[in-house]
Amino acid sequence: MNLEDKFQELKSRGEGAHMPHVYFGDPHEEFSLRLIETLAENGADILEFGIPFSDPTADGPTFQAVCERALENGVTPAKCIQGIKKLRDMGVENPIVVTTYYNIPYVAGVGNFLNKIREAGAQAIIVPNVPVEEADVLLAEGKKSGIHVIFQIAPTTTEDRLKKIADIASGFLYVINVEGVTGARESLADSTLKLVKRVRQHTDMPLLAGFGISNRQQASNVVAAGADGAIAGSCYAKIYEKNLEKPEETLPEIADLVGQIKQGCIEGYRRR
Amino acid sequence: MKKGKFGEYGGQYINEVLMPILIELEAAFEKHYPTAEFQEKLNGLLRDYAGRPTPLYYAKNFSKLVGCKIYLKREDLVCGGSHKLNNALGQALLTKEMGKSRLITETAAGQHGLATAMAGNVCELETEVFMGVKDIKRQASNVKRMKLLGAKVTPVDIGMGVLKDAVSDTLRKWTTCSQTTHYLMGSTVGPHPFPEIVATFQSVIGKEIKEQILEKEGRLPDTMVACGSGGSNALGAFRPFIKEKEVKLVFVEGGGESLESDNNAAAFQIGKPGILHGALMQVLQDENGQIKPSKTRAAGLNYPGRGPEISFLVESGRVEAHYAFDKEVFEAVKVMGRTEGLIPALETAHAIAYMVKHRQEFGEEELVVLNYSGRGDKDLEAIMRYFHES
Repeated sequence: MNLEDKFQELKSRGEGAHMPHVYFGDPHEEFSLRLIETLAENGADILEFGIPFSDPTADGPTFQAVCERALENGVTPAKCIQGIKKLRDMGVENPIVVTTYYNIPYVAGVGNFLNKIREAGAQAIIVPNVPVEEADVLLAEGKKSGIHVIFQIAPTTTEDRLKKIADIASGFLYVINVEGVTGARESLADSTLKLVKRVRQHTDMPLLAGFGISNRQQASNVVAAGADGAIAGSCYAKIYEKNLEKPEETLPEIADLVGQIKQGCIEGYRRR
Repeated sequence: MKKGKFGEYGGQYINEVLMPILIELEAAFEKHYPTAEFQEKLNGLLRDYAGRPTPLYYAKNFSKLVGCKIYLKREDLVCGGSHKLNNALGQALLTKEMGKSRLITETAAGQHGLATAMAGNVCELETEVFMGVKDIKRQASNVKRMKLLGAKVTPVDIGMGVLKDAVSDTLRKWTTCSQTTHYLMGSTVGPHPFPEIVATFQSVIGKEIKEQILEKEGRLPDTMVACGSGGSNALGAFRPFIKEKEVKLVFVEGGGESLESDNNAAAFQIGKPGILHGALMQVLQDENGQIKPSKTRAAGLNYPGRGPEISFLVESGRVEAHYAFDKEVFEAVKVMGRTEGLIPALETAHAIAYMVKHRQEFGEEELVVLNYSGRGDKDLEAIMRYFHES
């Protein structure tokens, strides 16, 4: 299913979207496949599929450790792309958004990389270290290969940048809740809610809010504030990293959490 | 050339949270740096606090050994023991102008961390320094100095616990506090405008060299030699000479144990263009684009990337890239000690090792300026251990 149809479907059902974020290959590929399948079956609408990078500077300690483990265990971009294909073969139909740092597509050749992820079954890409200023190649190649390039908006983003980003964005916009890196946090600042409202004045594009969301209430709050959905990632890794020997034993707990966060996205939408 | 780019190199490959801060920084630099007030404050501090201008010393005995005429630009005499203070003072003043109250930075050899702590105190700014756990151990004396000055030294234990990891963590930290805090980048790396700002503040070295060598010799040098990884001391020395095509510029990076993969920091030998810490530059990486750790006994050269400007100058052929192995570097320390009575930093000793190794290539009348970037007190233990063990 493509992103537009997914957002349309959610709108007609009156629900906020939930996009869980997973880095592929931690602790191994087989688990990642089952993890993503579990997320898809228990509440995920869109899947954020991370390709690990050695120096993930926009990620907090949880995802840093995740990337480090995945790379130590031998995951490569090629294996990740293969993983997307396997998910499609397993019958996972949710839109898939690839996240990685720019050196990975840069070294592979940006056009070549985007073609490969599209052929494997992905619909979009997030590259956190490519701001609008450096996005020409990514945008041109994205257009050619039919991959949406997702941009981020932060509390520090000025009005004039907001406008620039809204103009070139496609798919959806990723609203960074807090000044910081990815990772589960206790509470969300009021600035989050203000930011979602601020972005809304510039665009009708779907907005997914991420960073620091780890439970039902937080998801509900950001959606109630006007976001079209919530992104959560580190909170899932925090569950399975407690049992890296047999991570599959944690899948029921993960299934429960993704269901709850999705429930928060539904409640938030109804509170609007 | 597009602003912030050196050929294809450079740019601003950084997350959206920091982009507005970089734009603000660029505007502040362009606004304040050229003003007479700023120049006066900076030059006053460089003169009265840092001890500039530093001498250009004719190293007679070392010259005899190599077989040409070598001058040492004595950056080891800058207060704190290296060239790092030139840039730290400039950026600390800029931080004041921007109305921010804190500095964060990272350090490997400890020289830049120390310089930042000094500049922070002079400008009444709080300082926090991120340092890899491995570097904390091998540069213990500088850690003590930083702490004594009141800086907070935050250990970084991710990755290999070295400079690359400390830079990553400082960027993460900056993402959470950029409104009140300036990241005082210590080398000519990172997203624009950092490489430009650092090279500008460091080019005081080259400006002085030009005046001094003309005064002493009545002509420009034939060759200039500097060590480096990000490139701050090299660019500082080279910048005023880049247009003087007859001056050969030599950059010496860390050859580590050998040029085999994972055994060195020689990104110009075995790296390729890639994006790390906000910029496109020459960087050690595997075939998939994962950044590889670097390895050298000189903590200050232990970084997998070469800054965007030095990457461009080497690619375009203006600067020649060479390397020195650890073994040659330790020998070079001894040579400098015995000939001139000076103990160089292990980083600086790379440039010295180059001269010793390539001495056959220099003619008697050839005039060389070696940027003597720092003193070796911080490395004393490592040097003693090396000679004791081998």
